[in-house]
Amino acid sequence: MKNIKLAALKGKTRSVVRVGDVGFGEDLVLIAGPCSVESEKQTVEIAQAVKEGGADMLRGGAFKPRTSPYNFQGLGLKGLKILEKAREITGLPIVSEVLDTRDVSWMCEYVDVLQVGARNMQNFSLLKEVGKTTRPVLLKRGMHSTIAEWLNCAEYILNEGNPNVILCERGIRTFETYTRNTLDLSAVAAAKELTYLPVIVDPTHGTGKVSLILSMSLAAVACGADGLIVEVHNHPEAALSDKEQALTPPEFSELSRKIRSLRAFMDSLNGGSAAQPAD
Amino acid sequence: MSLENIRKKIDALDHDILKLLNERAELGLRTKKLKPAIHDDKREAEILDQAKAIARAYNLLDPDFVEKAFRTIVEETRRIQGSPRTLIGFQGDHGAFGEEAVRRHDAQLVPIPCREFADVFDGVESGDLDLGIVPVENSLGGAIAEVNELLIRRDLKVRAAIRLKINHCLLVAPEANYQEIRIVYSHPQALSQCRAFLSRHQLEARPFYDTAGAAKMLAREKPKMAAAIASRLCGELYNLEVIKENIQDHQENFTRFLVLSKDDRKDAPEKCSIVFSTPHRAGALFAILQIFTEAGINLTRIESLPDRADPGNYVFFLDFQINDARANLDAILENVGHKTKMFKYLGCYREEVFA
Repeated sequence: MKNIKLAALKGKTRSVVRVGDVGFGEDLVLIAGPCSVESEKQTVEIAQAVKEGGADMLRGGAFKPRTSPYNFQGLGLKGLKILEKAREITGLPIVSEVLDTRDVSWMCEYVDVLQVGARNMQNFSLLKEVGKTTRPVLLKRGMHSTIAEWLNCAEYILNEGNPNVILCERGIRTFETYTRNTLDLSAVAAAKELTYLPVIVDPTHGTGKVSLILSMSLAAVACGADGLIVEVHNHPEAALSDKEQALTPPEFSELSRKIRSLRAFMDSLNGGSAAQPAD
Repeated sequence: MSLENIRKKIDALDHDILKLLNERAELGLRTKKLKPAIHDDKREAEILDQAKAIARAYNLLDPDFVEKAFRTIVEETRRIQGSPRTLIGFQGDHGAFGEEAVRRHDAQLVPIPCREFADVFDGVESGDLDLGIVPVENSLGGAIAEVNELLIRRDLKVRAAIRLKINHCLLVAPEANYQEIRIVYSHPQALSQCRAFLSRHQLEARPFYDTAGAAKMLAREKPKMAAAIASRLCGELYNLEVIKENIQDHQENFTRFLVLSKDDRKDAPEKCSIVFSTPHRAGALFAILQIFTEAGINLTRIESLPDRADPGNYVFFLDFQINDARANLDAILENVGHKTKMFKYLGCYREEVFA
């Protein structure tokens, strides 16, 4: 990876990206919430449920990158206000996806972390625009992107002067159809070897199946992921998007407990804190 | 025009109708001070006849419906006039922060918009208005010179003080796309309090005479690519959408308002305000301040203003806490009076803080 200069690990200590009380790269960060912000009642209820279940941050989509223009596009600004309300009530910091460069400055007024989605990973003008802010950016790997392409996109953001990049593996496209995407945990280990940036995993989109989320989450923690981002809905059958892959609050609580246990065990295996520079 | 468009236009018109009815009711309240009785059959008949005539001219609405509607309006006006209401003048349009201060202080008071600060003073002095409310200083912007001048020149007393947290909101017309906003209208002080916000979104600041006035103008004229900075109340009154609340650069942004009346209050309050100027010799100001030190009285505000009647000299505003010093107050004030060139007692009152 010759042209990865800013993101490259060589001799640096691992980066810790702070959001509120948590540090990506230091603590195991658990992000949870609905796929889309559908209403104030729905989002606030889910936020309270995930907070109780052990989440560190709330996710929720106000702007949705739907494959079809006829599907629910998100509540937009109204959705951001609802997320803000949920944060006011629960104290959970917010991550939400930004689709449009014109929305970057406005979203910075509302959210704590900007998410660049998989389909926008190589949207270079969006990368530059989020790079101009100081807000932490959650950069999802594109579904047909190589690790090199992914890290170069991080480089775009870092190059604009924003050091707060968190990488996220969410599955790549393969010939397999049983799972929605193929979760590539080797990319997590590789990214942690090549860069000093924190790397988290999205097992929801990575599998597309509720039954696989727990085991893949545990696998992610075992391979060194710095956190997870999962979709949770209190009534998945009524969700306006991604209903087949949302966890219920009880399922989320169980996941939260188990991954924290595993993380504690992994820490002891690795001889102390997970935030060690690679050799 | 699509159904959606028509409905939006109807919504906007309904807002306007209510705004006008509200204004009409305010005027009705003001006539109460000028006429002896509430019932004036001749005048009411005039109103109904005129309304019917206009309806006939338009030739769409049934004149009987119009008569019924206006009879209802007149009845409501009579009902409002019937209950004793206290009118309090404030500078600006409805939705101004002065009005917000009034509502937090006492929701029973009826805020009456006045064009200028002088109009608030005129109204209270003439008896047109029962009370007035004016801002004297802002935590970021400092003293409001025009108001302080009027406090010196006129003879109104302070009966309450209110410190209100000023929360600026970015408002747009209902259909506006926030991504297209380029220009923001508001009072210069509001614009300067939100300077970093404007800079973050690369917005151009355009001064306007008043925050609520800017909101009102935005709702009426809907200029392209524009927004206004005003109170959340303005959003509700003028049917504007709030893009973001609390956009001021420093969250601790407070404005202090004084409630004015013709007479001062006699009940036991906590603060006192005076205005004075001193003879032009060394130690004159010190001699006055010494009186307070010796009485163990805590000063809460001291502000000097150039004396327009005596260029080169200054007028001092002094606020102090009285609490248990009430007994000595008359003696203290007499003592101060002897040592000043000009002396004015503004009143004793309680101060509230609304965060």
